[in-house]
Amino acid sequence: MTSLVKESFSSRQVEGHKLVSSIAMALVLISFSMLFAALFLGYAVYRMQNPVWPPMGMQRVPLTLPSISTLMIGISSLFYVYFQKGYESFSKKQMKIGLFSTFLFALLFVGSQFLLWSEMHSIGLFVEAGVFPSLLYAFTWIHAAHIGLGLICLLFLLPVLSSGELSFKMDNRIINIGKFWHFLGLIWLIIYLVLFVF
Amino acid sequence: MAFFEQHIHDEPKTFLSKYIISFDHKVIAKQFLWYGIFFLAVGGIMALMIRWTLAFPGEAFPIIGTLLFPETGGVVPPDTYAMLFTMHGTIMIFYAITPILIGAFGNYCIPVMIGARDMVFPTLNMLSFWLATLSAAILLFSMFTPLGGAAGGWTSYPTLSTLIGSPGVGQTLWTLAIFVLGISSTMGAINYITTIITLRAPGMGYFDMPLTVWGLWLTAILNAIFLPVLGAGCLLLTFDRVFGTQFFLAGAAATSGSGDPVLFQHVFWIFGHPEVYILILPAWGIVSDLLSFFARKPAFGAKATALAMTSITVLSTLVYGHHMFTTQMSPLLTQTFMTLTMTISIPSAIFFANWLGTIYKGSINFATPMLFSLGVVFVFGLGGLTGLHLGTVTTDLYLHDTYFVVGHFHYTMAASVLLGGFAGVYFWMPKLFGTMLNEFWGKVHFWITMLGLNGVFMGMMVVGYAGMHRRIYDPFVYDFLQRLIPINTFITWSAIFMGLGQIPFVINFVHSVFWGKKAEANPWQVGTLEWTQPSPTPHYNFKEIPIVRCGPHEYGNPNLPAGRDFQYQTEEIV
Amino acid sequence: MKVLFSFYLFLTAKLFAAEDGMSFIERISPPEDISENGHLIDWLFNYITIMDAIFFFFVCLGIFGFSYLYSAKRSKRGEYTYGNRKGQILVATAIGALVFFCIDLNITRIANNDYVGTFINWPKADEDVVKVQVLAQQWMWNVRYAGKDQTFNTEDDVVTTNDLRLPTGKKIVVQVLSKDVIHSFSLPNVRRKVDAIPGRITRIWFQLKKTGNYEIVCAEMCGTAHYKMRGEMTVYSPQEYQAWLDESQSIAVAENDPENADQFWGWKWEN
Repeated sequence: MTSLVKESFSSRQVEGHKLVSSIAMALVLISFSMLFAALFLGYAVYRMQNPVWPPMGMQRVPLTLPSISTLMIGISSLFYVYFQKGYESFSKKQMKIGLFSTFLFALLFVGSQFLLWSEMHSIGLFVEAGVFPSLLYAFTWIHAAHIGLGLICLLFLLPVLSSGELSFKMDNRIINIGKFWHFLGLIWLIIYLVLFVF
Repeated sequence: MAFFEQHIHDEPKTFLSKYIISFDHKVIAKQFLWYGIFFLAVGGIMALMIRWTLAFPGEAFPIIGTLLFPETGGVVPPDTYAMLFTMHGTIMIFYAITPILIGAFGNYCIPVMIGARDMVFPTLNMLSFWLATLSAAILLFSMFTPLGGAAGGWTSYPTLSTLIGSPGVGQTLWTLAIFVLGISSTMGAINYITTIITLRAPGMGYFDMPLTVWGLWLTAILNAIFLPVLGAGCLLLTFDRVFGTQFFLAGAAATSGSGDPVLFQHVFWIFGHPEVYILILPAWGIVSDLLSFFARKPAFGAKATALAMTSITVLSTLVYGHHMFTTQMSPLLTQTFMTLTMTISIPSAIFFANWLGTIYKGSINFATPMLFSLGVVFVFGLGGLTGLHLGTVTTDLYLHDTYFVVGHFHYTMAASVLLGGFAGVYFWMPKLFGTMLNEFWGKVHFWITMLGLNGVFMGMMVVGYAGMHRRIYDPFVYDFLQRLIPINTFITWSAIFMGLGQIPFVINFVHSVFWGKKAEANPWQVGTLEWTQPSPTPHYNFKEIPIVRCGPHEYGNPNLPAGRDFQYQTEEIV
Repeated sequence: MKVLFSFYLFLTAKLFAAEDGMSFIERISPPEDISENGHLIDWLFNYITIMDAIFFFFVCLGIFGFSYLYSAKRSKRGEYTYGNRKGQILVATAIGALVFFCIDLNITRIANNDYVGTFINWPKADEDVVKVQVLAQQWMWNVRYAGKDQTFNTEDDVVTTNDLRLPTGKKIVVQVLSKDVIHSFSLPNVRRKVDAIPGRITRIWFQLKKTGNYEIVCAEMCGTAHYKMRGEMTVYSPQEYQAWLDESQSIAVAENDPENADQFWGWKWEN
């Protein structure tokens, strides 16, 4: 990724900072993965203990809303890549469209989650009703909380649009927030497949 | 080779930026040190209250008893007792040991020992401390809620820790406090790992790092990987308590369907077992280094020690089931966990061989840090060996949940880590605060602590083998435990003795911090990078980033000129 | 300082001469083992302790011996070695391997044999065993024996509270469950315990060889009165046991109230 470097640091420093933030970001993603891995372990245990799934005669969640969620978050990730390409080619317009669309589709994702939760209510999948709805709610709440974190991170990218200032610090920020954002999308995909589809 | 060079910041000027909101790893280290010592005192007083109740049931706790428990005339009531042992465990593990060994020593030692000017993420570092403070505030607050703080043991097993067993908000706040602390520690862990990978000075390969840094690095790796697992467990428990999910509810607790309380135990111990290694690895590292420094001899098998620490790090992730033998897991799981637990004795034996090999044919200076390091070898020997009794399934069926377990983990966690931590404080005092701790009072501190400690924890193992179960308010309800009253009294007096022995340390410490004589740059004649700089370490650490030319244990080289018996890491080996 | 040390020594001395006249060894020994297989655990504990003591003896020899021999006063210079000569590594590895394979794995082998061969070697379905169901709750032990109909959870069951009575000479299988939180059914005189978990039945089997009165302990923190959750285990000779059982069964038929749902906490006995 090329960038206009404002401070007079050697290119070794720049590469160094980039590598440092890559390593740190990898560790952050490993940590977050372990949280979700523990949740999936719990899911595996409950699933193994109950030969019939969903247990207790509960209904499966209709796939429409979860699929819409998957679509929203996927498009959001795509727009983030569009935003990144805009940053690389110094196109203010592309950056603006990219970032705002990323944000927009993230909000649509969250909106679809709320709709999902109220649909689950209407088919009798209350939180207190058992292990099956407990799992669905816990996974989606925790994931949504992380999306909230991600949205806050996206706000830290706004300076790029206004000042037009490019620095290697902003380079790294965009790459790393992107990694986190795509990571959240990947986690959602796994949740979608494991909890809703299969 | 460092990935980039950190520039030298101006020295902070205001009181706020110097001591409160500081980005300097040395200041943050000191903040964690004060924090940890404060909670060590709180946890220690709780321990004394527990011991008092066990040795003198029905008698008011001295001095502060009537103040705290007016309704019972100063006697600790049973539900408060439960809260006391829960908080004692939680505070000692998360709010005393973690801040002192990992927060304070990790923060101080890592940058100066690898030749860096600060941690790679100073802001994250500062946030880590303030999040830990927030967590402490939540925990302390939880103890004053109407139904009291968490009282289900620090392990907080459901369904006792769900609403049916713990109806108050105290347990929920406890879980929240642990979750916040987990975030703080994970931030710290990421900072430490990245700093060690990316900011080592030119010439410092991984095996040129002092073993202290190895210990801290491996601890950080375990923290980063396994704290989120605890986080997941805490989240699910909180959901059960607050939103009515059914993860861990069964029996009368479950409103519908059935969750699995034992699942919490699995999730907890997947974190919990690595956690105990997280707590001891820094101490192992410090001791391995200090034994070499004070025996004026290279660390015997230093590379092997580093590799042994690494292999224990890996093995520790595979053995958690030995905490759950009595839950009747499948025979295959049970036997697998037992066999894997046995393998941990191999790297541990390597440590002992290397520690003893280090002092063999050395020239030992028995300064206070060395006394404490030798103390660690002694107590960890006892503690580690009794782990064998507990890792073996059949003996564990008798010993589980008795004081034998309490004695074992206090020997390994409390005794070893505490002695290692004290060794570190006495050793790095000149670098941290620019003064030396008084040697005479240091030795007094050591001997009282050692005697008291052995009395307490050996006594516990003895009564545990004799059948005394743990977490029991009045063991003498049981006829078969009546004969243990004298030994319990002995343990309590030992604990009081040990507690009193900490007073010289606190006075010594506070006096030295504020009114101590200025220390020279290298009073212990040690060659790691921090000793190449003046005492206390200047705010920029290193004016010029040092170039490392040899390892950290260059002592006793016969080619050295007369009058010198060590080399700085910046010198070529003669 | 001197005062403190002497007081501490006085306390230590007191340990060995307490008022009730028990010898120190008797005091620190585990409670009397009345089970057929408890000796396996005691033996293995002692074996591990002896192995530990030998290893620790050498460690202490090293710590104290080397501290004495190589203090700075005696030894002017440290030997300049990193301990990575081939011979040193070989010796260290040999010792480590020896310790692991001869001691650790031996302990593992013995424990495995005891565990699989005895402690979880459940009596066969057709064997004549004493069957008991124990329901733990905050803060008492509910005990149930099948009545004359040999079926659990029927009107003629013998149900007691904190009162477990067992015969010598016959295998006993106890199935354990909890009503509310996790407890642990612990019999120190049998050397074993098993957790009582809500929602999952656990079990333990043993055989007794001495009569008398013994205690049941709860071994998992279960709330405020966890410390008072004491049960009594009375061990009878086979004839006394049968006499007691017959008498209790006849009383049970008379006293049990079929309308009282709380009394029917038992479960179907699955082997």
